[in-house]
Amino acid sequence: MTIFVSSISILLGLGFAILLSAMRMSGNLVLINFARVFISFFRGVPLLVQLLLIFNLLPALGLSLSSLATALIGLSLCTAAYQAENLRGGFEGVPPGLIESAEMAGFSPTQTFLHIRTPIALRMTFPALVNEAILILKASSLVSVVGLIELTKMAQNLAASTYMPLPIFASAGLIYLAINLVVAAIGRRAEVALPGLPAK
Amino acid sequence: MTTPAISVQNVSKRYGETLVLRDINLEIPRGEVTCLIGPSGSGKSTLLRCMAFLEETTSGSILIEGEPLGFIEKDGKRRAQSPSELRATRSKVGMVFQQFNLWPHMTALGNVSAALRRVRKMPRKEAEERAMAQLTKVGLEDRAGHYPSQLSGGQQQRVAIARALALDPTIMLFDEPTSALDPELTGEVLNVMRALADEGMTMVAVTHEIGFAASVGNTVCFLDQGKLLFHDTPEKVFAAPRHPRLEQFLDTYLDRGASMLK
Amino acid sequence: MNFDFAVILAKGPQIIAGLGVTILIWIVGTILAAAIGFLVATLRRYGGRLMDKLLSVPVEILRGTPFLVQIFLLYFGGPYIGIRLDPIPAGLLGLSIYGAAYYAEIFRAGYNSVPTGHAEAADCVGFTRLQTILYVQLPEMALLVLPPANNMAVILLKETALLSLITVPEMTMTVQAIGSQQYAFVEAIVVLALVYWGLVELSNFLGRIAERRLSKLSS
Repeated sequence: MTIFVSSISILLGLGFAILLSAMRMSGNLVLINFARVFISFFRGVPLLVQLLLIFNLLPALGLSLSSLATALIGLSLCTAAYQAENLRGGFEGVPPGLIESAEMAGFSPTQTFLHIRTPIALRMTFPALVNEAILILKASSLVSVVGLIELTKMAQNLAASTYMPLPIFASAGLIYLAINLVVAAIGRRAEVALPGLPAK
Repeated sequence: MTTPAISVQNVSKRYGETLVLRDINLEIPRGEVTCLIGPSGSGKSTLLRCMAFLEETTSGSILIEGEPLGFIEKDGKRRAQSPSELRATRSKVGMVFQQFNLWPHMTALGNVSAALRRVRKMPRKEAEERAMAQLTKVGLEDRAGHYPSQLSGGQQQRVAIARALALDPTIMLFDEPTSALDPELTGEVLNVMRALADEGMTMVAVTHEIGFAASVGNTVCFLDQGKLLFHDTPEKVFAAPRHPRLEQFLDTYLDRGASMLK
Repeated sequence: MNFDFAVILAKGPQIIAGLGVTILIWIVGTILAAAIGFLVATLRRYGGRLMDKLLSVPVEILRGTPFLVQIFLLYFGGPYIGIRLDPIPAGLLGLSIYGAAYYAEIFRAGYNSVPTGHAEAADCVGFTRLQTILYVQLPEMALLVLPPANNMAVILLKETALLSLITVPEMTMTVQAIGSQQYAFVEAIVVLALVYWGLVELSNFLGRIAERRLSKLSS
């Protein structure tokens, strides 16, 4: 459940982060300010409070959601804000010549954004994405507060029923550590192996 | 009289206080090779970039095969072209950059076929066949699956030429295509350009390769401090007695193939 | 749907008390974390290869596991090995140790950014190791270290919200309790979110001012 929630959130968050980046570069003041406030809010409020907010506010507005949906929405929106901030550096780092060559090839601004700028920005900020994946994996421990049974919640339940919190929480910690070490190792391998980094 | 491929009319360009182009008038005839030479800072690259509307002129206008580039004149009024109108006018022009500007996340084949697929909406197979034909033309069919980072500078520039040619431009612009290359790699790029000239492509090249300008160019234009000092056939331009500024310029490029002119 | 914020705002003094605990734990915890982190980074640099390897283990473990699991381990598991702490000291200790691991990495990058020649030059003029660290390396790395250090401080501020789960009476716990008592849970969480948002933006703002001051000083 931990891995499932984390990976879905990372992907949803990534899509949303790209959308936020597009808004920020759209030149439309309404969209720019929406993206700005969104990013500031989700980076400025503890994830725990965000989850409580989504879990309680949406039903109060008449939208009931399962624990899983709440967890996914909360984690995705939060990571979207962080990933958008990471991507900003990537988008700024795309060499202008690559955009000129796309213009000369007849790409529309939307096509240039989708097929040239976004893939290059993603590639340039790949290490930050791996980092964010690890952060979200750790942050997913919080979704137990909205009632989702994941690794940390399972450890809590076990600790309560066995009266052995020490070995149980320690094991939970080790499992997180192991997953993160694997993610980090894959990330390092991929960073070396993936093509597509613009020349310096 | 046929309309020229490009006509540059009273073009001036200013960056803040500095005038980088001063009232340039020039006609690029079809099917010929025009080389722009001059010291760095003379405005030759800016002029070329204006011909692709990568830079906007401060005043004056540029016509591509008789059609205005970047603006539309209607009932005596002038307005900016919309992005799609601009793309239509610009589609006649292919551009090759000093820094190649290949897209690093696509293979050579991907770079050449991308616009065919995305802009011309060609099916993938057809686009890749045409792209392959262009890569063959520049001698890189066996490098189609390589990413730019796996290619030498000369190979990257040849891919960039193939990418521009794939869109069937009638005019090719070259912005110092060999300046970023190690000297031993310039030859392969110049050979591709020479072959292209032999096919009758209209070409405008900003270059420091004086030898290329002298042997392939039909016209050589000499720019200095934003002014087009003169333009003529290479025989006349390089024949003694030369203009003192040109003489001075050639002296600094003696090691770059200009020695053959001395 | 009616929202009634008045009942929440009426409990202003309680909220401010919770806010006080949050800020207290945050500031003391961050200072401790930065101090321990600096000590760890210094020991790793000058304590020999073995010390470097040894200290890298806890740093990696702390950085690779969720803060929540760490404080559960400390608060619920601690008593079984004789570490019996009240919520506030437990929260403070947990936050400091967790933050220390990240600060250790920030200062390690800082040490690496100072050219070795500068430290060697200080050795040559007769500085002791401590003097070299304090008067040469620390000031030189300050400009590079300050932005990530500020960033980490803001992260720690947000992490204090988790301490509500080990019953530390900080802002999140206080406001949630008010929300339940007043049957206005949604309103309570909205107020809570806004206070955190304001606090984070304020500390970001102060951090940027500090960075600007410092870069002016050093240029």
